[in-house]
Amino acid sequence: MRIELTSGVHLNVIPTTKFKTTRIAVHFLAPAQAEQYAARTLLTSVLETACAAYPTQAALAAELETLYGANFGIGVGKEGGLHRVTATLDLVADALAQAPLLAAGFAFLRECLGRPLTQGGQFDAAVFEREQANLIDYLNSLDEDRQTQASLGLQALYFEDPAQQVPSFGTVAGLAALTNAELWHTYQTMLAQDQIEIVVLGDVNPAAVTELAGTLGFAPRNPAQAPVQIDQATAAVRRQTVAVSVNQAKLDLGYHIDVDLYGADYYAGLVAIELFGGSALSLLFTNVREKASKAYYASATLDPFRHFVQVQTGIDPADAAVVTGLIAQQLERVQRGDFTIGLLTTIKDGLLNGRLIAYDAPRFLARQALLHALVPTHQDGYAAFAAGVAAVSKQAVQRVASTMQLQAVYLLSNKEEN
Amino acid sequence: MAQTYPEVGETLHDVTLPNGLRVLIVPKPDYHETYALFAVNYGGIDVRYVPAGETEMVEDPAGIAHFLEHKLFEKADHDAFDLFGATGASSNAFTGANTTAYLFSTSRAVAENLTTLLDFVQDPYFTDKTVAKEKGIIGQEIQMYQDTPGWRLYYGLLGNLYPTHPVAQDVTGTLASIAEITPAALHRAYRTFYQPSNMTLTVVGNVDPQKTLDLIAANQAAKTFAPATPITRGVAPDYDVATILPYRSLSLPVARPKAAVAIKGQRPVKDDQAGTRFQVAVRLLLEMLFGDSGALYQDWYDQGLIDDSFDCDYQAGATYNFLTFAGDTEDPQALSDALVAVIAKGADQVLDPARFARLKQAGLGKYYQGMNALDSMANQLSTQSFTAVNAFELAGVMRDVTLDDLHQAAGQLFDLDAVTVCHVFPEVGA
Repeated sequence: MRIELTSGVHLNVIPTTKFKTTRIAVHFLAPAQAEQYAARTLLTSVLETACAAYPTQAALAAELETLYGANFGIGVGKEGGLHRVTATLDLVADALAQAPLLAAGFAFLRECLGRPLTQGGQFDAAVFEREQANLIDYLNSLDEDRQTQASLGLQALYFEDPAQQVPSFGTVAGLAALTNAELWHTYQTMLAQDQIEIVVLGDVNPAAVTELAGTLGFAPRNPAQAPVQIDQATAAVRRQTVAVSVNQAKLDLGYHIDVDLYGADYYAGLVAIELFGGSALSLLFTNVREKASKAYYASATLDPFRHFVQVQTGIDPADAAVVTGLIAQQLERVQRGDFTIGLLTTIKDGLLNGRLIAYDAPRFLARQALLHALVPTHQDGYAAFAAGVAAVSKQAVQRVASTMQLQAVYLLSNKEEN
Repeated sequence: MAQTYPEVGETLHDVTLPNGLRVLIVPKPDYHETYALFAVNYGGIDVRYVPAGETEMVEDPAGIAHFLEHKLFEKADHDAFDLFGATGASSNAFTGANTTAYLFSTSRAVAENLTTLLDFVQDPYFTDKTVAKEKGIIGQEIQMYQDTPGWRLYYGLLGNLYPTHPVAQDVTGTLASIAEITPAALHRAYRTFYQPSNMTLTVVGNVDPQKTLDLIAANQAAKTFAPATPITRGVAPDYDVATILPYRSLSLPVARPKAAVAIKGQRPVKDDQAGTRFQVAVRLLLEMLFGDSGALYQDWYDQGLIDDSFDCDYQAGATYNFLTFAGDTEDPQALSDALVAVIAKGADQVLDPARFARLKQAGLGKYYQGMNALDSMANQLSTQSFTAVNAFELAGVMRDVTLDDLHQAAGQLFDLDAVTVCHVFPEVGA
């Protein structure tokens, strides 16, 4: 159930006795603007390190230990055209801990989010400087994971709008340029103007949670609106090769797909991409990895918020051209309908099975509440999903796959081959 | 056979079948999922053993347990992946230093998938052709890990501690070692280790325990197995500090240097109650000394010596045990020096009783949180099944551990003679 606490601030409560935990998530949502990402990300580091009540990292960690080892973190992400900052607190259920942890958890969040450690009307200078330096180091180290590096490289190549080109956590240059005053301004703006969605899941009483959520003290606001869904016009294929020191090359491809978020072809899109490269039974996995032995991994994922399909592979640097051809062949097979009804049924069964199991995870259930709040056409029950997938015909899969247009090819390869 | 654990709110059905297979079942009627794990007490380090029915010790190429895991899915006319997939289930497998496990997760057709799991693992099929092809796929996997600096650091560190013990070798093996694997070697390892009496089947989820047990028992009764034979493992215990290489430096494509320190255990840690308690004590000791609510962490973090990447861990197997510490840092020498200075104090560590009580409570909370996910519960049950303490008894062990246990653990492990250091520096021009 979704309750308006005040204008622009909502509480979503999911009562369930199934889990040993209670989850609280506080989402701050604002129109995605690339120049804000670095500040919003640094804000998460600063807020989760210290606050007035727990002025050192050790004091804050000790409080989490007192809360029976509660898991706390603040992260960022994008929901299409929205940028999201989320504080999450996972607590042992009150009944299991035999202690009022939910109330204590809200008190903790109130301190961390609402009463930061300050100095002269800004964030504590030592905390600001150290977290800024650490975050820069962390972003610089992301390239140590070559799969991540290639995926981010592909998105930077594919998208034209900086809000989508730049990852949700911003850039090193953006971080380095930030001042304490600017960060403070970003914080005040986020607290006062962002759309806020609070999600609480567990063995809880909605009325009690409503009262607790009210104690977070968010003021009424009229949040700026932005479309959740992104659609970029198609253009000529962009190609980029980056040479680094690797044994295994990463070949990533980006496609545009005509599938609207929770629109008429949404389920057909899910099935088509699952068949193309979403599972171990997919054409990419069975033909490129298993039969041709040309990749250690080969998969496709649909980003329904952005009309975007990403193919990721890890290959021998010498095989880039061959694998590009193999990937194209698999997509053509989906488009031509060169797959059996039996495989299609199996792929659909796999999607349904995975979806039903997802309802066993607090994280998934809590996310459904967020999606439901953000996208009016979202259906959060399993029955709707199952009916949607069941109705997908072979022709629909072919039709949707035929809308896919290759837009970007990103190759991360070794120095010798280039 | 059925035991209820009120503290964790679970009931465990624990039965050993006539052929020696141990079956663990935890019903979770609220859940859609059923997760099953078929595990063998055989992993990456088991490269020396006396084959079943023979008398002479043999040596296998590194990576054979992992190779066997990959190959078991493939049959003459089908792949077991597809059988699971045909019902909508997902399946997977993994190999660790000491165990290999095959699993499926499903919300439907549990009986059919259980039968598939039992049957494909118990029906090996290896040919020259399929073995040759697998070398290509695993070769790619090995190369991918080689590109991961953190992985290179970890195995560099273990290589220092254990120049000859196979625990220092990643379970995937090397391109050279997997080249030597043959169908005959796979069959020999299979018949030695994949005996039902050396295996556990764990089923957690939306199942009727008795019906599930009946199905498994009938499946096993219908098959013929060679008589159970004791397994003679030949990998020698390594607790020798004399062989440790004290230092290694690596030049890798990293943005920031890394430092790591490891300590070699000098005494065996058994898989009994005392050994389990010791391991719990060591993990609490690490949290007490190096955890983020401690003075040391705060001090090092404030100095810029460590950041969020700092981590420590303890691993114990039948023939080895070791502690590792690692993190990204501007000054790897300063970080390893700081770690060594703590180790140099041996048992003489300042451990605050109030903080200890809090950390135990937090540890219990994390333990409960881990029991939310069926895969995590099944993995814990399966791992513990090869020891004397089951996963639901761990909470009690955690409660019983005392500060004295921690001091003793520090005294036993913290020895400068048992330490090695590894540094990673950015490649010049990278």
